[in-house]
This record gives sequence, C-alpha cells and structure tokens, in this order.
Amino acid sequence: MEHELVWGLPVIGYLFLAGLGAGALVTSASLLLRGKDNPDFFRLARYGAVLSIPTVALGTALLVLELGSFQSGHWFRWINLYTVINLSPMSIGSWLLILYFAIAAPYVYTFLVPNSHSQDRFIDLRKNLAYPCIALGIGVAIYTGVLLGAMPARPLWNSPILALLFLISAISTGIASVMISDWIAEKIGTAKWCAENLGWDRERDSSGKASAEYLLASTDTIFIGFEILVIFLYFMYAHLTVGDVRMSIKVFETGGALTAHFWVGVVLVGLMIPVILEMQKILPRLLGNGPYVHSGAVVFVVPVMVLIGGFILRYVIVVGGQLAKLAGI
Amino acid sequence: MKNKNFGSTTPLADNITIDDDIPAGVVISTASDSFHARRKFLSQLGLGIAGGATVTGSQPVMAAVNAATKTKVQYAMVIDTRRCIGCHACTVACKSENDVPLGNNRCWVEYTEKGSFPNVDRSFLPRLCNHCSKPACVDVCPTGATYKRKEDGIVVIDDDICIGCKYCVHACPYDARYLNPVTGTVDKCDFCFHRVSQGYEPSCVNTCQGRARIFGDINDPESEVSQLLAKNAHSVLLKGMGTEPNVFYIDADHSDPRDAIYQNRYIRVETHRKVKERR
Repeated sequence: MEHELVWGLPVIGYLFLAGLGAGALVTSASLLLRGKDNPDFFRLARYGAVLSIPTVALGTALLVLELGSFQSGHWFRWINLYTVINLSPMSIGSWLLILYFAIAAPYVYTFLVPNSHSQDRFIDLRKNLAYPCIALGIGVAIYTGVLLGAMPARPLWNSPILALLFLISAISTGIASVMISDWIAEKIGTAKWCAENLGWDRERDSSGKASAEYLLASTDTIFIGFEILVIFLYFMYAHLTVGDVRMSIKVFETGGALTAHFWVGVVLVGLMIPVILEMQKILPRLLGNGPYVHSGAVVFVVPVMVLIGGFILRYVIVVGGQLAKLAGI
Repeated sequence: MKNKNFGSTTPLADNITIDDDIPAGVVISTASDSFHARRKFLSQLGLGIAGGATVTGSQPVMAAVNAATKTKVQYAMVIDTRRCIGCHACTVACKSENDVPLGNNRCWVEYTEKGSFPNVDRSFLPRLCNHCSKPACVDVCPTGATYKRKEDGIVVIDDDICIGCKYCVHACPYDARYLNPVTGTVDKCDFCFHRVSQGYEPSCVNTCQGRARIFGDINDPESEVSQLLAKNAHSVLLKGMGTEPNVFYIDADHSDPRDAIYQNRYIRVETHRKVKERR
C-alpha cells in the first residue's frame, strides 16, 4: 500500500492548535462569567485568554506554511482568501478567524494590562467581550470539523458528527491547557514573577481555588464523557452502514492502519484514563459526600493526557480520512 | 428525407425544409422533449430547494436558477473503451501539450486485470477530469480560483488566484487534481481550452490512435458525442457522488480492487501514475 498525504502535519497541527486556542478562549470567558469576580476564577480566566491568541495564530501560520503557493515562493498569495467570501467552509473559516482575532484581542488585552484584577476599570468591557468570545471560540472550534466534513469524496470525514467531535475535543483540550498552565506557572515561578513585575494576582486568598479547579475538572469530565459518546455514535453508525463509510472505518478496526493510534492514543490515553482519574476526584463533591480536594493528578496528569489524546485524535482523523478510499469507481 | 436516419450527421440539404420531416420528426422530438422537460423540471426542483428558493417557486424562478447553473455549451467527452488499446498516447500528448511536471498526470490510462486463467480479462480505462455539472471541487474552493466556465462548461483553475490549499484535491472524487510543484497551484485537465477555444480538439482526442476519445458539445443534439450517447449504453464514474460528470464511458469496466473482497476473485488495477493504486 502506498499513499500520498495531501494534508500532513501542518494541517493536523493547525486543527489541534486552533481547537486548543478556541477552547481556551471559551474556557476563559466562561470562567470569567461564572466566577462572580472571584480572583481565582479571574486568574484561570487570564491563562485561557493568554493562550487563546498565540495558539490559534501559530496554527494559522502552520496552515500558511502548508500552502502550495507559499512553498513555491508566492509568500503572500494567501491574501486571496480575503478578496472573496463564498460558501466554502475554508472561506467562512478564514473570515471567522479574522473576527476571532479582532474580538479576542481586546478581550485578552484587558487581562494583560499591569495591575489588572477582577474589579479593575475594564470589568464591564471584559464581560461584554466575553459573550462574543464564547460564540467565536465555538465557531472556530466547530469550523475545523466542518472543514473536513464537507466532502463526500472523503467518506471518513463526511459525517455531521465529526464537527461535534472536534468541538467537544477542542473545549476539552482548552480546559486542559488552562489547568496545566496554572500548574506550570506556579512550578516554574512565572506566577510569582508576574505578581512582582506586572502586579497580577497580588491579593491571593485561594478561597476560590478549589472551587475553580472543581468547576474545570467536572466540566472536563462531562466533555470527555460526551466525547466518548460521540465516538461511540460515530463508530456505531459507520459500522452499521454499507459502502464507502463502512469501508472507511476499517482503518480504525482490527487490522487497520491506525487501529493502535486510535484505540490506545485517543480512547485510552486521551479519554478513558483521564475520565477515570477525574471521576475519582470530583465524585465526592458531585454526590455530596465530601469536599473537592486539590489534586496533582487532576491539574497535571489529566491535562497532559487530554492534550496528547487531542493531538492524536486530529492525527488519526486527518490521516485516516486520506487512507480511507471510495469503494469502486 | 422522411426515412432520414435521426442520428445521421449529414446536414439537411438547403432545399428541404424542416416541415418535410414532420411525420417522423415531430413525434420523436415531442416525446423526447416532454421526457427531457420532466427531467429538467425535477432537477430544477432539486436546485430550487438546495438554493434556498421557495418550494412553490414559479417556472421563471426555476428557469433563472437553471440558467445560472447550466451552461449553453457543455463540452463533454465520450470514451469508447472498446476502441482503447491502452497505448498511453493520450497521456504523453497531454503531458507534452500542457507541460505537466514529472510525477503528475492530468490524463492517464488505468489497466484492469481480473480473473484467473483461462477466464481472464484486461481492460483499459482512460481517465481525466470529468468537468462535472455539479463540481465538488468548485464548491469548496475558498478563493474562487476554480470555477466552471459559463461559455463552455469547462472547469478551470486560475493560477493567479489559487493559493494551493489543496482543499479541492480532497473534494474531487475522481482524484483528477494534483498540486503542481512548479507553480504551487492546483492543476488538472482543462479540456485543453486553449486549443478548444481556437476550434481544435483537445490534445488527447487529437492523438488517440483508436479514436476512443470523442469530444464535443453535449447540449447540441447533432454533435457526435450526443449521438453516441443516444445510441449506446454508457456510464459515468462514481455516479453516486452526484457530481453529474461530463465524461461518459461506453463499455467501461467499473471493476475495482475493493470489489474483489466480496466478489472473491482477483482484480488488479494499475493507474500508471506516481501512486499506483486508485485513491
């Protein structure tokens, strides 16, 4: 079997990073709106905001690197994307990205100014921007799935549930990125440096820390649960149908080219183990048997696994979709 | 003239008017017209719904939708595989005519081998862009670089606009598109429109030894392609994709290696391209 990948690692990286950034923005805006001006919620919202633009920008840059025109020396030919707007998912997505950067940039700026805190002069602007940020984050995240799903010639991708899968995975990786950023910032001293030099998070009382962590962990658990459900439905319908789609799902079945990547990388590492680890920690409070206690597993191990799983998910879908062929001619 | 063969390419003599043909001609044409009108109406209905028009759309609305999506001249190709000997002359002519880079093909010939001795068969399937009436590639192009020409229905790519995102390469079910490594844009068969617009045949048609490739306007009932399609059983590739291809095959072997799984027989297809297997 020989294959030629039309879309390779740059596109996979874009789908992952754009999903992560958009998910981080949604997480950030949700934390801000849910937090009732609590400094701990605000601090986590800032991590999401800080992540939201560079990740999506890096992903978009990867996408430009992958363009045939860029590779042949026409470095700015991609501007042609913004000379028209049509019903191509890529055209809509390109304009959506512009809108995303335009709305997210002032939102992120309100977090980055020195001495910013949950009750500063930007409080109203920040909250007003948070609502469109949630919508745009969902838009960018779901568009990555629509992009792949629009083509009947790629049977593995041509499923409406793929966009939902990518959306859920994007928000899940967004939450994971916020949790792990907090952990890393504490460990390597960035948080302390920012408090001293930029005046961020000076008055830390940690009253909302467990509460915010619980909110993130429980939301993440719900999203991972839904992701497992969507993958189950995706598989069930592909397995029960006939023809192209039935043939295409064989790349993930026993003996398929990406079976191990999918079942170990995505399902086991990315979904099953994280959801079990998180359930152990959130169940006491969820069932009213006790408080949520801070856990290193939840803030570090789970996010790492979710991020790895999220990347492998994009990888197996993008590569698998190109290996899966149309039956017949 | 009453006994005139309906499929004849002989033009009517000047001194004979159309009226002379009434007894035979009218019956045939009305029957076929109403059939076509009904089919046209049904397809328009589909278009109307897809285009967001009201379901109760009147005929003028339908006609407008139709005029926007159908071209007056639709160039098409009929490939009579009974006459193809698999000599690759079309492949070579195309590469030379269009300066196709090494390792890529706009036009190629697939060989299908099947069966076990002594019950064996080998057949040839010349391939090219199908210049679909509903091109999936055009639908996904984010810059509008690829479009279906209004004047002749040829699907073309504007090299100055194409950014090489390769979205259309995925969208094409026929794998007719590739990224041209020299220009950095997506490339494919364009029915040699530089020749066709000057009144010449496409290069592959011009060179075909067995006259297996026949080119013409499918909307003109007098054209050779229309008459061949009228008189022969024919098929298109991947009809289920709904792309309405304008490359038609007579006696094509649609066998595919993937059919062999359930048909329990040997089938091998070689594309003679860089990637030897069909997509």
